Formats: sequence, structure tokens, C-alpha cells
Amino acid sequence: MTNTTNTTRFQGGVSRRAVLAGAGGLAAAATVTGFPNILRAQDKSLKVGVYGGYFKESFDKHVFPEFTKATGIAVESVAEPTGEAWLVQLEQAARARQAPADVSMMSQVAMLKGMSADLWAPLDLGKMPNTANVLPHLVNKYPDGRVAGIGAVSWFITLVTNTQSYPQAPASWAALWDPANKGKLGLMALVSNSFLLEVAAATHFGGTKHLDTEAGQLDCFKKLAELKDNVNLWYRDEAQFEAALKSGEIPMGQYYHDVTGLAVADGQPVRSTFPKEGGINDSGSWAVTRASTKLDLAHVYIDYMSQPSVQALLSRKVGTAPTIPRAKTDLTDAEFGAVSSEIAPIVPRYDMYQTKADWLNEKWTEMIVG
Amino acid sequence: MSALVLDGLAKRYGSVVAVHGATLRIPHGQFVCLLGPSGCGKTTLLRMIAGLEEPSGGRLFIDDRNITEMPAHKRDFGMVFQSLALFPHLTAGENVAYPLRIRGVSAADQRKRAAELLDMVQLPGMADRPVSKLSGGQRQRVAIARALALSPKLFLLDEPLSALDAKLREAMQIELKQLQQRLGITTIVVTHDQREAMTMADLVVVMSQGRIHQAASPVEVYRRPADAFVADFIGMTNLLEGEAAGNGTLSVPGGTLVLPEMTGNSRVLLSIRPEDVVVHGNAEGGPNRLAGRLSFVRDLGASVELRIDVAGREIVAVAHPKDRPSVAPGSPVTVELPPQACVLLPLATGHAERAA
Amino acid sequence: MIRRPPRTLAEHAPILFPALMLIVFFVIPFGLMIAVSFFRRVQGGFYEPDFVLANYERFLSAFFGNVLSFSLMLAGLVAVVAVAIAFPFTYRLVRLPHPAQVRWLVFLLSVLSLSEVIIGFAWSTLLSRTAGITNLLVAVGLMEAPQSLSPGFGALLAGLVYQAFPYTVLVLYPALARFDFSLMEAARTLGSSPARAFFTVLVPALRNTIVGTVIMAFVFALGSYLLPQLLGRPQHWTLSVLITDQAIYQSNMPFAAAMAVFLVLVSLALVGLALILGRREGSQ
Repeated sequence: MTNTTNTTRFQGGVSRRAVLAGAGGLAAAATVTGFPNILRAQDKSLKVGVYGGYFKESFDKHVFPEFTKATGIAVESVAEPTGEAWLVQLEQAARARQAPADVSMMSQVAMLKGMSADLWAPLDLGKMPNTANVLPHLVNKYPDGRVAGIGAVSWFITLVTNTQSYPQAPASWAALWDPANKGKLGLMALVSNSFLLEVAAATHFGGTKHLDTEAGQLDCFKKLAELKDNVNLWYRDEAQFEAALKSGEIPMGQYYHDVTGLAVADGQPVRSTFPKEGGINDSGSWAVTRASTKLDLAHVYIDYMSQPSVQALLSRKVGTAPTIPRAKTDLTDAEFGAVSSEIAPIVPRYDMYQTKADWLNEKWTEMIVG
Repeated sequence: MSALVLDGLAKRYGSVVAVHGATLRIPHGQFVCLLGPSGCGKTTLLRMIAGLEEPSGGRLFIDDRNITEMPAHKRDFGMVFQSLALFPHLTAGENVAYPLRIRGVSAADQRKRAAELLDMVQLPGMADRPVSKLSGGQRQRVAIARALALSPKLFLLDEPLSALDAKLREAMQIELKQLQQRLGITTIVVTHDQREAMTMADLVVVMSQGRIHQAASPVEVYRRPADAFVADFIGMTNLLEGEAAGNGTLSVPGGTLVLPEMTGNSRVLLSIRPEDVVVHGNAEGGPNRLAGRLSFVRDLGASVELRIDVAGREIVAVAHPKDRPSVAPGSPVTVELPPQACVLLPLATGHAERAA
Repeated sequence: MIRRPPRTLAEHAPILFPALMLIVFFVIPFGLMIAVSFFRRVQGGFYEPDFVLANYERFLSAFFGNVLSFSLMLAGLVAVVAVAIAFPFTYRLVRLPHPAQVRWLVFLLSVLSLSEVIIGFAWSTLLSRTAGITNLLVAVGLMEAPQSLSPGFGALLAGLVYQAFPYTVLVLYPALARFDFSLMEAARTLGSSPARAFFTVLVPALRNTIVGTVIMAFVFALGSYLLPQLLGRPQHWTLSVLITDQAIYQSNMPFAAAMAVFLVLVSLALVGLALILGRREGSQ
């Protein structure tokens, strides 16, 4: 089943994505210049942890070979297990001064947990000129300002509808609360993957800042309790909701923007809408365990990944939203629209899930079960 | 008045005929044995009477009421199965009381009646014994008591004693017969054991290959078998093929017999029981005597079995030890076949023609 | 054959291997789970070895009490319904000609090979508004408009019973195949209609088998965590779903372990109770 963030979230779209990925060329990342010659030596290698499955396959196929070609650094990719087991493994290995991977792709909550244990080696932005482009909310920083991680991939969860049931696209997340939509919604079943508290805060309380206090969080829970009657399915299995959305069985809900785009391309009667409050922007970051002895190579790697051309490649081949402003990339309107939007996103309050995970989870379960 | 009438009762399984139209009248209070080798259709016939098999043809009446279509549970017949079919989850008493329970008899009356029935089959005080704690003979008695619990019009038993050892079986045969006589209940037992049939039955019904060959008293079946099958199946017999000359003489291998009451001239089969064959220790001729040679002597204590080779055929004689001829095996002897002991049978299956 | 109990190591050898496997694959993992259930949860981290009762305390609330009783009720209902359907079915099955029995058993085994996910999808489609059976009822004129029957309690029950059914049949099959059907005939000659004989002879004679099968189906249904998500509404999520949530999504192993230990203990207690009651009745 799915992890809180992005481990296996591409389950539903893997095969189609794989087909799409095979169709295009590899031209985008070919123009790489300016890397120090000293790093071109043959014996340079880096272990990179990537979520197992779709992500690892895509990176192995489209990204790592180009990186090795450009920098001379060989990449040994490591499949990360689901859940937070990888974080635990990294922590335990770090105590023994071992690094199962030098650089790892980590979910935002895992980033925070690692920071609380001082697991991540501070990164030097000065050694990574390309990271200047990365959107500020995708740069992870320790409370004292040191950089712990840099956005690796990001994606959007949006408001999706069946076009036959809804000829008119909804404009706002408020549609979830509309009494006219009784029994029509499919929403994600977990507090930590649906980010509906943030949606409630952004839609009804002026922004996710409202979640700063427990009173504000309770406001949002209360607000969410109001839409329960509208929900047909609280789903954990993405494929189940996707099928129901296509057939019109459950004509509205929240879902991944890029996967919905693939369904549209297949001719399915569905659409993904960025509501005026913004799509939910979830992401994964690159972070380096402090046990790694290859911090220099890791900097080269993260810098390489933050280049506009590589971000564009990821958008085209892996289906992720760029971690840098669109203007810096050469993505066409169609290519950009397939993965992102110009509307300001709702950024999940990961801090909240780190500090109050159990309380939020219990409140949430009681709210939807009760 | 006939208690039970079978009118052409038949059973077919696809193209296989298990029972050809069976027709039989069984008067009240009779003890009937359906006797025959395995696969002869006797059990199928019994099951049709019980209502457990649907006849493919024919009708069944009891006291002139047609019950051909009546389901088993409405017939009120008691039946003892070959496996006994005691209910393993119930005690001896509960097994016996089962038919009473089904009919809504009060618990107290059930217990009382079960105790009476167990007394009747000589199992007093066994009511609370689980079935698994009973010996083979005790189970037998419980099964009988259960079948009789409702004083049925008809008591059916399918090879009831086959699971018991020989000694117990003989004792049970006598006991069962006595019980039947005491209760006066019409009883039909299926068996393949002719001794068992002879011990218990008022009426023996001999069956083979789905047909009834003869239905008669045990003595009659033994003394006057209807055909070669019956003659051979019931006890031991000598069968000699012969040619009737039409003048009361019958030529058989080894000589000619004079059977005064015989008519017609055709090839027939002569049946004579070993105990009716008289063996003479000399080679003297005489009426109905055939010359032969003593080939084997078996001394059984109570009787002596003699095997005599007559013109290449073996004739078996059983004699009382005091009538044993004083000759050694290999000596010439003559065998006498008394006319009144000879039964003439048609060569093919059919009905008997009395010779004397 | 050795008639006396085994004494030397060599004589014990035949049971050593299964015993070892049982220890390695059952006793040790279960022991670890019990240990973890007393560990201290580190929020925003993972867990640390400790001996705290907080995980059990958290569980002792009206909310989890309700979830637990719903899970037990659902599993019990599934077990009873599955056996109530499977028992008459198997009774008919064992009386079919042998080739027909083999065909049915192969069919049931192939149903077994379906994953819980496929079963969940099939039932949610079958009970959907857009493609489900209600469309058939509308076509025949029995209903006004097609209706969605899933997710819901009925859908969940149907899915779980469907999943448990082949196991139930396969467990009942040997006992019914060995059953002496002359007992049923005896009951009929003693005045029982076939239906009466079924309930007064067949069912009580196979009572232990039936109780055992109900227990198996109960435990089986209790462990189901995918179908409640696919076919149920949140109020139908079983304790197994919440355990999965805690273990996988919340990384709260101690709490998940505590709930799992509690679930195992409650099921063991219920199974033990059923066996004790069964024995007491049997000895009467």
C-alpha cells in the first residue's frame, strides 16, 4: 500500500508512464559543462537511495547514465524500502559510521525527523550554484539556518472531477463542502497523505498558517467533519479511486495531477483542476547522511539534479513538477501543465505531522470513523 | 389378506437393470429373507420397500394401500442398516428415542420407552452409554431397538449381522427370530448367508442378477429348488445333465435312471442332494445305480463326505458314519440315486418339474 | 515402530525440525512483537527499547473498544454466514459424481488464488452504481434507478464471505466426504424429513467440524485488512486496518504491536471459550 508520501504513489500509473518514458529521446540533459575536471576520474562513485519501484527504474534509465556521462561519477542506485524504515536504517548505520547510501531521496516528514536527530550533513549552497534556482519552500533548513536538503522531485494533488458528471470544472476546494455533492467524493484516507487539514485551512481560514495552533487545527477538523456526508470513499488504494473516477461512480475527489493527466491523454472523461486556493504540493528532497565520506561528490550530484535542463528532463520523463521556477526551464505550456501550475501551491505543514503525528492521527481517525 | 405386495417393482440405473420387475406377496407376521449373492439386487429391492430408492417401475402396496410414491419418513417402517447407522453424537438411549423425539414425544416418555426397548434387546441400564463405548453386538441391539421404537408395520434389516463374528452371529440369528415371533412383526432381512436365511426365515426369496428365482419356505427351497441356480446356491447339490427318453427313463453319464413320474423327452438337469445319494461298497448293479470309483473320503466327524468318480464326473455323497461303506479310496463302488430324491430342472432358467 | 515415548535425541529428531521452524517463524516473531509493544514510542522518530504500558493504555479507550467489538462482530458474522452457506454447499458437493467434485474443487482452488485486492475490486465493481448488479435490476424493472451498494457494510460482508468461502468448503470437505450418509437414510426411515435429518443428524454429528471451521473462518476474517478499506466505510474499518495504519503509515510500531497482541489475546480467548463450551456440551 502507499506510504505517507511518495513511495509507491505511482502504482496506478506505472505502466503508462513507462510506455511514455520509452517514447521520447534523451536529448534534454546532454548539454552539461563546467564541472571540475578533477571529478572526472574513473574511481569516483556515489551511492544514491531512490524509492524502489517506479522512481528507481526511471532514474536508472533516464537520469543516472546522463549524470555519469557528464561528471564521470558512477552511480550505484539503492532501492529504498517503504515507510520510514529507510530513515531508521540510515540512523542506525550512521551510529556505526556506515552509509548505506550517500545521498537519499527523503519525504518531508522523514527530513524533519532526520533533522531532529542531526542525521543530515549540512550542505554548502556555495558549492551548488544551480540550487539558487530551487523554490524556497523546497529547501530544507535546520532551525539554525544550515541547509539539510534540497528539493529533488515534487508533485501536485489537485481537485479532480469526472467531466460527464461535472461539465463545468469546479474552481475552488470549497466544492468539497457543497451539499450538492453529497455522496460523490473520493478522498484519501489518512491525515498524513490527504493534507486535507491544509486544504480546509486554505479554503476556510485564510491559509495554512491557521494550523499553527491546536485551536486552529481543531477548527479545521470541525470543518472537515462537515464534508463527511459528501464522501463516498475514503481511499487508500489509488487504483480503486482512479477506476471509480473514470467510470463516474465517484465523480469528484482529490488525486495526483500528473496521473490524472495520463488518464486524460488516454481519452478518459476526467479532468484535474488547480483550485484557486492552489494544488497540494508534496515533495521529496535530496539529503546526505552525516556518515557519508563523499560529501563533495554529493554536492556535485545535487547541483547537477537542480539544473533547469535536468528538472525539465524529470518533468518529461518521470512526470514530476520542476523544483525551480518554470521560467528557468524550457518546458512548453503543455509539458508544464502536465505536471504543475502557476497558481501558488498549498504547501503541507510537515512540521505539524512531525510533532503531533499521534494526536493528529487519532483525531483524524475518530473524525472520519465517528 | 396380504400385508405387503410388490407388483413388478423394478429399478434401473441408466442401462443397468438392478432389479427386474419383482412381484411378491408377503403375508402379515412373516419373516422373509431376501437371499442371493452380492450384486443380485436384494439390497436395492429392500431399499425400494423402505422408500430410500425410487422404483423405475411397478407398484408397492401395504394393506391394499399404494405407497409407491410415499417418502421414506412417512412409511413408518423400521430399518436396520448394514453399517447400523447409529448416530455417533447420541447415547444408546438417545439413539433409541430418536424417532420418538422427531414425533414430539415428551422427554420423560422418551426415556421411559427407550429404557423399555433397551430391556427388550437385553441392554438394560445402557441408555446413557455413548455409542462409541458399545461392543459390536451391543450396537447391533441398539440399532434393532431403535428400528422397533415405533412398533413399525414392517421391520427391514440389511445384512444386519454381517459385522459380527460367526459365533455371535448364530446366537443373534436365533435371538432375532425369537424377537420377531414374540412381536409378530412382518420382517424382511437381506442376507447372502443361506444358513442365516434357513435359520430365521418363514419365506426365503432367492435372487440372482436382479430376478427372483424362487420364493418359498426354507424346506421347500432346499428340497424343491426351482432351478439350477437355487439348487446350487442353497446348500450343496449334484447336478447331472441327462436325456429323457419319454418312457420314464433318463440317460445320464454312467448309466440310465428310471424316474416313473417323469414325462416328456428333452435334455434336463437332475439335481440330487449329497445326503440323498446312497453309496454301496460293492459293484452290484440295480435300479438307479451307477457304477463308479471312490476317489476321496473326507471324515467330518458327524458325517462322512464321499467323492465318487462316475464316468468322469464327480458325484458327492454325504453319509452318516455308521453308513460308511467299508472300502478304501480307489475301489469300485455304486451310487444309488433314489427317484424320490431326484429333482429335474430345465437346462435353462425356469421352473422346476417334480420328478417323483 | 517405537511404542514408548521418545527418549534419546535421535528419537526426538523427527519433531525437532517442525519445532525449530515453529520457533523461528512463529515464536520468535511473536515474542519480538510482544517486546516491541512495551517499547517507548518516539514521536517524530521511531521507537526506543523500554518498558512502558503507554501503548496499551492508549488502546483502552471507548474508540478502540468500539473498533475492537466491531471487528469481532464482523469476523463472527462472516464466519457464521460463510459456514452457513458452505456447509449445505459441501453437503451437496460430496454427493456429486467424482468428476464433478473435482471440477468444483479446482474452481474453488482457483478462487483461492485471487488476491484480496482483486476480490475487493471485483465486488466494488459488481456493487457499483455505474456497472453493478442494480443496473440489471433496473433492466428487469425491479428498481427505479441504479444504486451504489459499495462501500458499505453489505458490500464488506459479501466480500469477506466470498473470500472465506473456499477455505470453509475445503475444511469441511474431508469431514463431509467421510460422513456415513446411511445415517441420513436411517433418520429418514425413523421419521425425519430430509430437512429435519439435516439438522437433527448431520449438523450435530459434525458439530466439532463445524465449530472448528467457524473458528478458522473467524480468525481468517479478523486478519483481513484490505477488504474493509476497499469495500467498507470508515466506520467499518477493523482493528487490522488501524494496526496497518499505525505500523506502516504512522511508523508507530509499539502501538501497532500492542494492538496486535491485544487482538491475538482476544481471539485466543474467544477460540478457547468456544472449545471449552463445545467440550462441555459434547460430554453431556
